[in-house]
Amino acid sequence: MTGAPLPEPAPSPTATDAGVPSTQRAARPRWRETLGLLARNPTAAAAGLVLLAIVLIAVFDETLAPSGPNEISVEDRLQAPSLAHPFGTDDLGRDILSRVVLGAGVSLRVGFLAVAFALVVGSLIGLLAGFYGRWVDDVLMRFMDVLFAFPAVLLAIAVLAVRGPGAGNTALAIGVVYVPVFARVTRASVLGVREEVYVRASRSVGASDFRLLTRHVLPNAAPPIIVQTSISLAFAVLAEAALSFLGLGTQPPNPSWGLMLAEGRGFIDIAWWLAFFPGIAIFLTVLCFNLLGDGLRDVLDPRQRTLMAGGGR
Amino acid sequence: MSGPASSGTGPVPSGTGPVLEVEDLQVDLRTPRGTAHVVNGLSYTVGHGETVAVVGESGSGKSVSVLALLGLLPARVATVTGRALLHGEDLLTMSPERLRQVRGPGAGMVFQDPMTSLNPVLTVGRQLVEGIRAHGEVSKADARRRAVELLGEVGLPDPGRAVDRYPHELSGGMRQRVMIAIALSNSPGLLIADEATTALDVTVQAQIIDLVEKLQAERGTGVVWITHDLGVVAGIADRVLVMYGGRCVEDGTVDDVLERPVHPYTRGLLGALPDLAAPAGPDGVVPDLATVPGVPPAPTDLPPGCVFWPRCPVRSDPRCETEQPPLVQVGGGPGALPHRAATWCEDRTPGAASAVDRTFGAASPGEGGS
Amino acid sequence: MTEDVLVSARGLEVHFPIRSGGALRRTSGVLRAVDGVDLDILRGETLGLVGESGCGKSTLGNALLRLVPPTGGTVTFDGTDVTSLDRRGLKEMRRRAGMVFQDPFASLDPRRTVAQTVSEPLEVHGLRSGGRERAARVAELLELVGLDPAVAGRYPHEFSGGQRQRVGIARALAGEPDFLVCDEAIASLDVSVQAQVLNLLRRLQRQLGLTLLFISHDLSAVRHIADRIAVMYLGRVVEVGPADAVGSDPQMPYTQALLSAVPVPHPELERSRKRIVLRGDVPSPAAVPSGCRFRTRCPYAFEPCPDVDPALQPVGAPGQLAACHLHGVVGRPVDSGEPVAARD
Repeated sequence: MTGAPLPEPAPSPTATDAGVPSTQRAARPRWRETLGLLARNPTAAAAGLVLLAIVLIAVFDETLAPSGPNEISVEDRLQAPSLAHPFGTDDLGRDILSRVVLGAGVSLRVGFLAVAFALVVGSLIGLLAGFYGRWVDDVLMRFMDVLFAFPAVLLAIAVLAVRGPGAGNTALAIGVVYVPVFARVTRASVLGVREEVYVRASRSVGASDFRLLTRHVLPNAAPPIIVQTSISLAFAVLAEAALSFLGLGTQPPNPSWGLMLAEGRGFIDIAWWLAFFPGIAIFLTVLCFNLLGDGLRDVLDPRQRTLMAGGGR
Repeated sequence: MSGPASSGTGPVPSGTGPVLEVEDLQVDLRTPRGTAHVVNGLSYTVGHGETVAVVGESGSGKSVSVLALLGLLPARVATVTGRALLHGEDLLTMSPERLRQVRGPGAGMVFQDPMTSLNPVLTVGRQLVEGIRAHGEVSKADARRRAVELLGEVGLPDPGRAVDRYPHELSGGMRQRVMIAIALSNSPGLLIADEATTALDVTVQAQIIDLVEKLQAERGTGVVWITHDLGVVAGIADRVLVMYGGRCVEDGTVDDVLERPVHPYTRGLLGALPDLAAPAGPDGVVPDLATVPGVPPAPTDLPPGCVFWPRCPVRSDPRCETEQPPLVQVGGGPGALPHRAATWCEDRTPGAASAVDRTFGAASPGEGGS
Repeated sequence: MTEDVLVSARGLEVHFPIRSGGALRRTSGVLRAVDGVDLDILRGETLGLVGESGCGKSTLGNALLRLVPPTGGTVTFDGTDVTSLDRRGLKEMRRRAGMVFQDPFASLDPRRTVAQTVSEPLEVHGLRSGGRERAARVAELLELVGLDPAVAGRYPHEFSGGQRQRVGIARALAGEPDFLVCDEAIASLDVSVQAQVLNLLRRLQRQLGLTLLFISHDLSAVRHIADRIAVMYLGRVVEVGPADAVGSDPQMPYTQALLSAVPVPHPELERSRKRIVLRGDVPSPAAVPSGCRFRTRCPYAFEPCPDVDPALQPVGAPGQLAACHLHGVVGRPVDSGEPVAARD
């Protein structure tokens, strides 16, 4: 057969298209549909907005901070919140608002870096293990099991002990801890998608494994991974705070929320604001990432999606 | 083995009257897309030992109509009106307590997928015994004896051992037999089979149909057989009711409806079936199948007038698009059961399906769009 | 058989190991999904492959395209041995052989538009370079299967089952294949829509000169569309021949029972005819009976059936073959393995 000519006149569009309701909206990209659905979930939408604000603060920290983070002013030490210093000052007279704003940059940067590392490495491992199965699966996932069985803090401390403290190494330490989490979530999701008929259909037209993985398996396996990303960001911010609190993460005098919390601990009975404001910042960020994750879970569930999309038409 | 189950809590009477009388049944379901009018004014009667087939494609409302009868639709979303008399007692106004009593001994039900309607963690025997004991004062040992007996009756080999098996240890056909045994365990006056053989292979389907016919002949059970398969209907039904868009568009004896269909939808459906016996035309060439263009209407968005007109290739009457045609007698007649159809179609005289095939073939070149 | 054979299977086997769980993964048995199939598919014909669930007809269809790796025997496609193709050869073979799947709701990637789905074979095989040419080809394909090319930008969930199946067919045709496997392609569709798709497949087969393997459990549909029919039972082709011969004068008792069990929408006929109701169920493909695999349910089973595995032999109409000792004991004895010729 050559070229598939069309000797028969093509049926007219109106006749062929009888079944598609004309009122159907034009196709919209999936991510925009997702955003639209998310907007209809008030809790998740609010969480998303707060996070957006926090991220903006982190990006423009230097511009937004009223004063430098390390500007020491001994006469202003341990002042309660006032108009001049809305969040008060610490034992060295540094403005806490400024330090919280600049701390956002440090905390989020570490969080994002850590999760990005875990996401890339973990998902790749999960993808390969889930798609190829057999010995690939056995080898990769047993390795993940070992990593998973190791106490998280110990693992992070080990990484930091080898590489020394600092923001980048903190992110790496936290990232390593989350690699198995992403590997498992991805593998489970891929196992389901791998068996889908459309994957076999794509193989039947000659598509390579690489194409199957990138065009079909990964996009369809993505929803749980996206949810996991959001929830992991919350944990990563917490972990950074914990490591800094233990003195292993961000090093003084750089401001990080965990570090500020640790430093404020000693003054909790005489100057509550030292620990309170960074604590609130951590709390708010973690809560919002979790709420966003829950919202995404609902929105990305295909059954929910049909129901909600249908209701909105 | 015959005769009604006697139970202290209110026997379900059996007599000479009809087993089931459904009058103007309406079912509305609340959906995110609006109210779906799934069943719109369905009426039929099932006599003793009679089999009524309810035929339709997916979305025609055939399954919902029987779920509604037995109160098996979630009350939160479903509004059911009309009357449904089982041995003269209205199922739709019954207390939930009474409905539970009636479900076993009054009306048994067999669904399409026996795997999901059997409890996977209980043995077949346990499930049978439970059903038997729920509706009468029967000792455990007697109930078990009865369970073995029933499994033998539905043709399970070695019922004494099968009774202790779990559903997953049985084949699809065997599971469906167990479902029938459970449905018949209380000798109901009415058996409702909802696509009961659709998931089965034809050879197994033949076994199940034979079984139901045999049991029906022995016990005089009335049967409502819901299916999309017109071949099965031809073999098992006394009367046929064709549903489309939640309405009955044609009913009558099986011979009238299948051999002399009147409604354009029934004609189209029959014309769309490939013929096992003689596919080739007189010229030796196999002709294209007649098709009904388009797709059935959504129950949330039924067209005004005749439900079938948007797909109807022979619509001609101006009333088609505006006025709902009533179900009127087109054949059968005095002494015989009436043959009725709901259509404005001018040519209401029952005709052979083959004549209509050509109408449809000509009216839908290039098989339209689905 | 000197006719022009496009696809041919010889002694084709697909055996799946049955693994008992646990880390050690011991093999506890073998599932003989396809168990020694000999089958020729002639160029330009429509071969109907029928059988009940679990008979291996789908696995056979997949094995012919090497979508399931055969564990024994050979498949040749247009003269080349499919089982020994390298990566490049396999890719080209898959361009020349398309597949249409059963469930149109599962066989289209929900995250890809109709255009992306239909143009995938074009991208994979580097046909029609450039976005515009590909778009034109997609439009051409959509028209070919009776869809409005304007729907190219839509997602699968916006379509009915019949429309999705048309998209699936368009995808299968995109690489300009010679061979199309339809695996239960109409089974999940409503009756009136089945007719639309059957007509479409027939039209495409004629128009494009396709060779079609139509796998279905629906004998009426197969009888309607097929030039020849092959009947499978428990992993083996037990009868094959011209559609008219197999459909009206079957020689194998299983085919006879299968045909007699198909209900037809004519009440008079249904009442009058005698169904052959088979005993029991299909045995498990993990425990295939010795000799003739149908003997446990066969109403005519006699002395040689458990001992000799029957081979396909010409019976009835020209071109009709059946594997049954009623037509003379031909086959491979279970114990010695030496083939025997007809004894009587």
